Amino acid sequence: MKRRTNLKLSLSLVLIMTLIMLTACGNAGTNTGNTGKTDSSGGAEKATLDFLWFSDGNEGEVIKGIIKDYEQSNANVKINLIEVGFKDLQTKLKTMISGGKPPALSRITDTGSFANQAVDLTPYVDSAEQFEGQFIDSLKPYYVINDKLVAAPMDVTANGLIYNKTLFDKAGVKVPTSPDDVWTWDEYTAALKEVMAKGGARYGMVWDVTPHRWSTLLYQNGGSILTEDGKAAAINSEAGIRTMDMFKQLHKDGIMPESVWLGGENPNNLFRSGTVAAHWAGNWMISNYKDITDFEWGVTYMPKGTQRSSVPGGKFLMAFKDSGNEKEAAEFIKYLTSKEVNSKYNQESLFMSPRQDSAVLDYSFGKEMYQVFSDELKNTSPLAANDWSRQTIISKISTDLKNNIIEVLSDKATSKEAMDKTAKLINEAIANQ
Amino acid sequence: MSGGQSLNRKKQTGQTRKLAIAPYLFILPNLLIFGVFIVIPSLLGLYYSFHVYDGLNPMKFNGLGNYIKIIGDKEFWSTIGRTGIYAAIVVPLIYAVALGIAMLLAREIRMRGFFRAIFYWPTMISFIIVGLTWKWIFGDSFGILNHMLSVIGVEPVGFLTSPFWANAAVIIATVWSRAGFFMVIFIAGLQAIPTDYYEAARLDGATGIKVFRHITLPLLKPTSLLVFMLALIDAFKAFPLMFALTGGGPGKETTYIVQYIYEIGFTKQELGLASAMSVMLFVIIGGFSALQFRMSKGGAV
Repeated sequence: MKRRTNLKLSLSLVLIMTLIMLTACGNAGTNTGNTGKTDSSGGAEKATLDFLWFSDGNEGEVIKGIIKDYEQSNANVKINLIEVGFKDLQTKLKTMISGGKPPALSRITDTGSFANQAVDLTPYVDSAEQFEGQFIDSLKPYYVINDKLVAAPMDVTANGLIYNKTLFDKAGVKVPTSPDDVWTWDEYTAALKEVMAKGGARYGMVWDVTPHRWSTLLYQNGGSILTEDGKAAAINSEAGIRTMDMFKQLHKDGIMPESVWLGGENPNNLFRSGTVAAHWAGNWMISNYKDITDFEWGVTYMPKGTQRSSVPGGKFLMAFKDSGNEKEAAEFIKYLTSKEVNSKYNQESLFMSPRQDSAVLDYSFGKEMYQVFSDELKNTSPLAANDWSRQTIISKISTDLKNNIIEVLSDKATSKEAMDKTAKLINEAIANQ
Repeated sequence: MSGGQSLNRKKQTGQTRKLAIAPYLFILPNLLIFGVFIVIPSLLGLYYSFHVYDGLNPMKFNGLGNYIKIIGDKEFWSTIGRTGIYAAIVVPLIYAVALGIAMLLAREIRMRGFFRAIFYWPTMISFIIVGLTWKWIFGDSFGILNHMLSVIGVEPVGFLTSPFWANAAVIIATVWSRAGFFMVIFIAGLQAIPTDYYEAARLDGATGIKVFRHITLPLLKPTSLLVFMLALIDAFKAFPLMFALTGGGPGKETTYIVQYIYEIGFTKQELGLASAMSVMLFVIIGGFSALQFRMSKGGAV
């Protein structure tokens, strides 16, 4: 009798566990939906917009404030900010879209990969031309794809040169103070060697391990990854090979540490340690380095090769088809890109505005540094935006490009071999489009 | 009386039947989890492997296209080769270290529990943390090892930038994080060996090494086989530890097969191709498991 009770008890337990599991799965399925159009208070219909977001600095806090303002004046909209790490955003977005529950909105860098899923904003703006006219030209290929307005710019980024002022001063080396006296590459490397010799810098420079940052030198040498029409690879041109040679030489001469590109060491940490003269990074590092107190640092103009150039980039807002709230999402995008709101967002986040009319914002920190970055953008090869806005191709080859650069650095390939190999992969990616 | 007996028998068979359902009900939750998180995704992966798919745009049927592409993909095979070499070094090392510790800790020594816990502890840490911790030790500019070298006046070593040292670092970290787990299996195996054998050997005047060679090792054969196979499968699945420690570098020196599949799938967004590679990895690992099954004569270890 006792045994039977035990059996019944165990069976009930098993059933309860199974039931709990099943209901948990079921709940998970329904909770993520954003179909809840009715206000819980029983009032008017309320649209809940899922908004996928990542933060590099404090912009998450800034956007929360802006959302609050928006919700106050638009009682019919509730914005549900879903914060994920930058690295997880693509995966999360893909899962949501392929699972049939796309978010209404997302902050995004890779506009090309998601262009087919994006809401065309054209019907929601008064005139596409006028809308596009508000932003700097170089960003256009990122958000106008196949004549559709697939996204809207939130901020623009530029690559530039951050330097350790304390080390430069110690070595008595002057940095360019105006666009008229930028270094040539020879002058620049000579300056770095002097800072290493007299200023006690362990390394002359560190350079982020991304083909995006690497390509700055490519454009300064007059090269590009793709041809202007985007139909073929151009990276194995004379300029491309020369760029690779120069990059290798910087490592050979000990100006750049091998530990960053070969050993995966974080260049930010190296610069922060105060032992490196310069860091080639993006303007977002200004807010990251804001708290450095051990030494003085600043931003100066990058040297020129056959020309000056930076690489533009940006973060965009995209609304997605089939979210059920396309109209509300488009309205919110219009609000966020308006002069007033966009300037507030960028000024408080210490970002650069993509709007033509907000080039100079009243930053609480590093105002003069942003002017340098902004000047770099003005003097950027149009090929840079042309390359990097073709995200469908770039995302397929950028790991290979990085690996091929590393092969040259570790003496496994010559510059020409590596660039030819990359060009072959690029042409394959174009053909498979 | 007879009627009563048959009634009793009926009751019994009814109860037996009820009892026969019980085990299935007990495994139901696990079966559900296994089905939802293992079987369905695996079948989906198999399905994707015959398609061109980027996770967003509609899938295009590609037949054996992905598999043919893999056969011609030099990078895939060199990554498999690299993974094989890594496995060939790391598996015997784990085996030896785990057995060594187990032999020490199977005996009655003071603070045995404490030492067992110490050696087992690394197996409870996630691979990412293990990788980051060892990066902290081997790091080129901020590593503890290089700092200590500089204190005694030795030039810093590019632990993570030289192919040799990067591989060594990965192997050391792997052995450190996995040996404890296999130690536990070995301890169980060692304790299953009847002590009479050792007593008899001692009476016959056998010394330590002889006892080990002629008693311990042969009687540990099933356990050894299990450890060997599990460690081999582990080695072929290795990814997060090196991803955190070396990022697969320098170059591709420590990029093993799972990282390669990850890059194809999530960086290049070729999910169909990555799925086909996973299927091939499944076949390789499945091959090892089948081998183990055969060698252990039907799975009895």
